[in-house]
Amino acid sequence: MTRMTPTAGTSGEPSASGAVSDGLLLDVRGLRTYFHVMDGTVKAVDGVDFSIPRGGTVGLVGESGCGKSVTAHTIMRLIDIPPGEIAGGEVWFDGRDLLKLSANEMRHVRGGEIAMIFQEPMTSLNPVFTIGDQISEAVLLHNDVNKKEAANRAIEALREVGVSAPERRVRQYPHELSGGMRQRAMIAMALSCNPKLVIADEPTTALDVTIQAQILELIKALQARTGTALLLITHDLAVVAETVQTIAVMYAGRIVETGTVDQVLLAPQHPYTQGLLSSIPGVKKRGKALSVIRGVVPNPFRMPPACKFQPRCPYAWDICSMKEPELLPARTGAMSRCYLHSPEGASRLAAFESAVAATMEGVGG
Amino acid sequence: MEPILPPADATGPAAPADFEVALVSLNQWQLAWRRFRRHKLAIFGSVLFLTMVAIAIFGPFILPYDPLAEPTPILHCVGTNILANTGCPPFNDGHILGTAGGTQEDLLTLVVNGARISLAIGIGAATFATVLGAIVGGVSGYFGGWVDTILMRIVDVLLSLPLLFVVIVFAKVFGYGDWKVILVVFAILGWPSIARLVRSLFLTLRTEVFVDAARAVGVSDLRIIFRHILPNAMSPIIVVTTLSIAGFIVEEAFISYIGFGVNSLYNPTWGNILSNAQDDIIVGNWWWPLFPGLAIVLTVLGINFMGDGLRDALDPRSRE
Repeated sequence: MTRMTPTAGTSGEPSASGAVSDGLLLDVRGLRTYFHVMDGTVKAVDGVDFSIPRGGTVGLVGESGCGKSVTAHTIMRLIDIPPGEIAGGEVWFDGRDLLKLSANEMRHVRGGEIAMIFQEPMTSLNPVFTIGDQISEAVLLHNDVNKKEAANRAIEALREVGVSAPERRVRQYPHELSGGMRQRAMIAMALSCNPKLVIADEPTTALDVTIQAQILELIKALQARTGTALLLITHDLAVVAETVQTIAVMYAGRIVETGTVDQVLLAPQHPYTQGLLSSIPGVKKRGKALSVIRGVVPNPFRMPPACKFQPRCPYAWDICSMKEPELLPARTGAMSRCYLHSPEGASRLAAFESAVAATMEGVGG
Repeated sequence: MEPILPPADATGPAAPADFEVALVSLNQWQLAWRRFRRHKLAIFGSVLFLTMVAIAIFGPFILPYDPLAEPTPILHCVGTNILANTGCPPFNDGHILGTAGGTQEDLLTLVVNGARISLAIGIGAATFATVLGAIVGGVSGYFGGWVDTILMRIVDVLLSLPLLFVVIVFAKVFGYGDWKVILVVFAILGWPSIARLVRSLFLTLRTEVFVDAARAVGVSDLRIIFRHILPNAMSPIIVVTTLSIAGFIVEEAFISYIGFGVNSLYNPTWGNILSNAQDDIIVGNWWWPLFPGLAIVLTVLGINFMGDGLRDALDPRSRE
């Protein structure tokens, strides 16, 4: 199986095995995370490859349960083992394979070099400590500073994320702050140690729409200023469209399509991505029934044998249920895990592309 | 540093929700104290319990009698023709609570000195049991897996041991009647139930996002257990510890009463005073068992009222 490692901005080129390509901060190769539960094994992440260049921004998109959060947790090694198992793969970060680090070394990577922002600002702050205590703790863990300096850094960090009166906020408890404020505090905590990579796991899902926009603007602005790389995990296509350079679409534990934002969102090359985009309600579809992807997400215990999307795919033919496709280069420069882009699929590609064109027409550009 | 994002205007509409600022930030303990203060019965119970503790600490210094010195026996109680060997009634010859039979010791001196040992066993055993239970339960619940299995099987074994049997074995090995041995036995048999409680609290709390968030910042496991999760589990632990003080005091009284507890020759306790008193109840010496019994009842009642108040005050759902 030849592995394709797409990098942001350029079309995918196979990376040299073993060594880390220059300019890549994070290089995830063949990552597999399984959960052994009572009814069997759930292959939550089953062969995920992607990479993030230094200072680059990547969006990991997919519906609930496709494995995008598990991918992030595996990179951070926050998976509970057991029942979880990191069954294979490599996570190269800044010249080291994170999966081979000792628990102690990993602790220094967490927070210090890779920071994470969680989905729910309501529950991701400890209710019994003040905001200041929690940010200072992160600072103290990764920097050689005393408590006073750490407390000052906490105030500075809050000021940077646009929290008003930070001197007062540091003495407040999480329950005294609004959701948007708490998410700002989480972002302040994540950035307080100048990490090289920030993983934002659905950072705006739990927030209302106006606050969502503010938080996204903030993340974008801080990313641009500090030059930290960003892995944004979301199910919201609008969020990635505005925030990142490269998109990877996940389905059933695999990446099915990857490319730049324009490539993927303007001319999707995988039937799943096309289905996702066509289900977005648009002005031009007013009065018509919304289109949906037929069928349901496959049962994790009984995955389709070859292409995981084949049972729901309107373009599937016999090869699709015989062998799983690899990420194949599409004409747009994106990579798609679909036989439509293989020589065998050439005859069917036209029908797909006209459907894509119709979809984009419906979405309204 | 220049704020890269002005608080509101750069992103359009301001966020008015972000400006609710309380003048004073109260932490959970301050909030709990506020609620506790309003609970009259709990305040009454606390006063009762703390008075007992104060009496236990300072009483022996104030009382004129030495608890270990045997008084010179007298034939009749002063000014009466009651035989003194079964004890004299209250207010006889300056003995406010009367005297005990047999040795003719001052009953108030016995009860006050007994409070020392009874409360020391209750509070000491509860403290040891809680500390040990919190450590074992916390580690067990946080790590899970084989660590949890081993620790919880130890807990199961200890919970299956009958108290009296262990007391007798310990008395045989470490000496009969020593109150410190009793305290240790109580702690050994008491921590497993607290460990179970703490474990169950940890099983719930470790799935909280703030635990993942702490790990994602690089906090070590032990620090997460004791600095991040334990404070969140403190409320039920405090309630159970408080109530277990009462439980241990009653247990001490029980085993001292049946004669396997603290030796009354060296240390009076409420239990062994009661034990010594039982023979003379028949001849009408009501004061001898009444006052140590009353001490037990008032202390246990006080602790239970206090525990009730703590339960209400520390329960985050009872926020009015």
